[in-house]
Amino acid sequence: MVKLLAPAGSLEMARAAVDEGADIIYVGPLGFSRRPYESEMSDDAIREAAAYARVGGAELRVVLNTFPTPYDFGRFVDKAVRYAADGASGFIVTDVGLMRALRREIPDTVLHVSIGSGISNLADAAFYRDAGADVIILPYRWDVAEIESVRRASDIGLETFLFETVQTGKLCPGKCIMSSYLRFRDWLEVEGSRDFHGSANRGAKECYRVCQANWEFGAAGADPVEIKLRRDARLMLAQLPGFVAAGVTCFKLSGRERPVGMIRDLVRFYRRAIDEVVAGASDLDHHAAELAELRGRWVREKAKRVDTLMDRAAGYVG
Amino acid sequence: MFELSTDVGNLKELREGDFSAYDAIYLGDFSCPEYPNNFSSHAELLEAGLQHVHARGQKAYLRLYAVPGNDDLAWVGDVIDTALQLPFDALEVHNLGVLRMLRERGCTAPIHLGVFGNLYTHETAKVLKDFGVTRVYPNPELSLDEVRYIAEHADVEVLVPVHGKIPLVISETCFILEHSEDGAEGACGDGSCSYQCTQDHWLKRGRGDGSRADWSLKDTGRMTLSGKDLCMVEHGGRLADMGLKHFYVHNKGEAPGYAAAVGRIYRDALTRAFAGEAAPDFTPALDALAGLAREGLCNGYYFEGAGQRYIGRS
Repeated sequence: MVKLLAPAGSLEMARAAVDEGADIIYVGPLGFSRRPYESEMSDDAIREAAAYARVGGAELRVVLNTFPTPYDFGRFVDKAVRYAADGASGFIVTDVGLMRALRREIPDTVLHVSIGSGISNLADAAFYRDAGADVIILPYRWDVAEIESVRRASDIGLETFLFETVQTGKLCPGKCIMSSYLRFRDWLEVEGSRDFHGSANRGAKECYRVCQANWEFGAAGADPVEIKLRRDARLMLAQLPGFVAAGVTCFKLSGRERPVGMIRDLVRFYRRAIDEVVAGASDLDHHAAELAELRGRWVREKAKRVDTLMDRAAGYVG
Repeated sequence: MFELSTDVGNLKELREGDFSAYDAIYLGDFSCPEYPNNFSSHAELLEAGLQHVHARGQKAYLRLYAVPGNDDLAWVGDVIDTALQLPFDALEVHNLGVLRMLRERGCTAPIHLGVFGNLYTHETAKVLKDFGVTRVYPNPELSLDEVRYIAEHADVEVLVPVHGKIPLVISETCFILEHSEDGAEGACGDGSCSYQCTQDHWLKRGRGDGSRADWSLKDTGRMTLSGKDLCMVEHGGRLADMGLKHFYVHNKGEAPGYAAAVGRIYRDALTRAFAGEAAPDFTPALDALAGLAREGLCNGYYFEGAGQRYIGRS
């Protein structure tokens, strides 16, 4: 069974994703899922989204992929237990300690390893399987051959973003604290109070995506070049049949912070494409024009968001 | 009383440098297997490095590659197999898959979790202790109070960096090579490295008119470091009072002589602090340390702020 995992940055987006055929939607509680508060949801909204998903035949996962602080650990577990009671069928988690605690407290739940865990090889996959995980998100760099190798080595579920494989640039998930080195901010009232002042990795503010801003780079004394630290991700399509054949069972659409209309169109598009692949299609070229249009919208929205985040960062002190 | 450690990438640097201020040496560059004669990727050099360190009465810890891809697991396994035949005082891992490999091979040596191990809580430290981890390097984002909490509640050693550039990002490919005229895109790892990282490389984002924040980061190719040097020389008394005992100076990417100069200053400051002496005038030490730091000094995240801030003792 190949599943489409779609973002729900708001209740409206949750409904749109379910209506368009997402198998699973994922939501982030305020302050616990590495996104600005505009793309996270209150506990009441999460409960409502879970109910809507259930009626629509979909599942709901809760993203708890910030790293807890030592003082905050119990709060993560308590929240997860409550979400499970409210209808969440699983969690997307980064921290190994939290993973063990959730497996102990909610034995039947589905645990996804978040991209923030920084998995880079099949021994990692085996480690997380031992730690109680059900699904790992695959690194951005992996191609079909690497997916097949981990499929042979472990029975853990395989999930991948709907982005094309990239081989160069700084790929940060789970291995980057640049944003918080440059700027910190306190919690906003809407996010509730916590026991620490934090960083993107810990949910106290958004990552400023400094890797996607323009930097000057060069050897000391030489003329610098203007450069981004990583390539923009490109929506994937042609790789879908190969990934399914290699054993990927879950395709994740990113974008909780995107406009609802865009997510609605993307879920509709990928629902069709995945269904075609599952039915045996190996050539998806007939979707090329639609894909090009969606890619264009994706890039334009991304640029707007990076500018917004950098402006925010410049406004914070210290 | 306390342990002060630093890192050395290869045998040449180990033999030519003065590391006498340190109690222990982390051997190897965990970020780049291509780094010349890197202990982390050259099993045949391990014994010589280990002997050199032990002969000086210091402890020797071996650093293992931090971000191995599937193609790297075989050679990382070879390095581990060699290391396990030698009396290293500990092996350092950053990757949880490599940690699992150590357990599979029956490693009985202490295991240290490195900076990219993403250690944020005492509960995670307890999980990793089951795999043989005895020392953790808490993520640099943690405050001193959080670091102490982990030490006390997980009953584990914590490594506390006191000086040097903070590792912020690590990647599997070389950013310098990807963007150099000599290196074709994607050439990293194919054996054609021209070692341009021997020159300092910097990332800058700023405007002279102040209309954009003035940010700077140091880049060593596969790793990005803080532009400023973490500096805790004024806070030795506080560290001692907190019961923290294992301190570290980042040496990766620094010029010859950096580790020696910094180590001498911290050996003196920490010895005085642990003896309970009144805090001296730190001006000469700070002047010397600032002279080694092109972009200035910071406190990292220890006092609950953005990493690049500096807060003096008073």
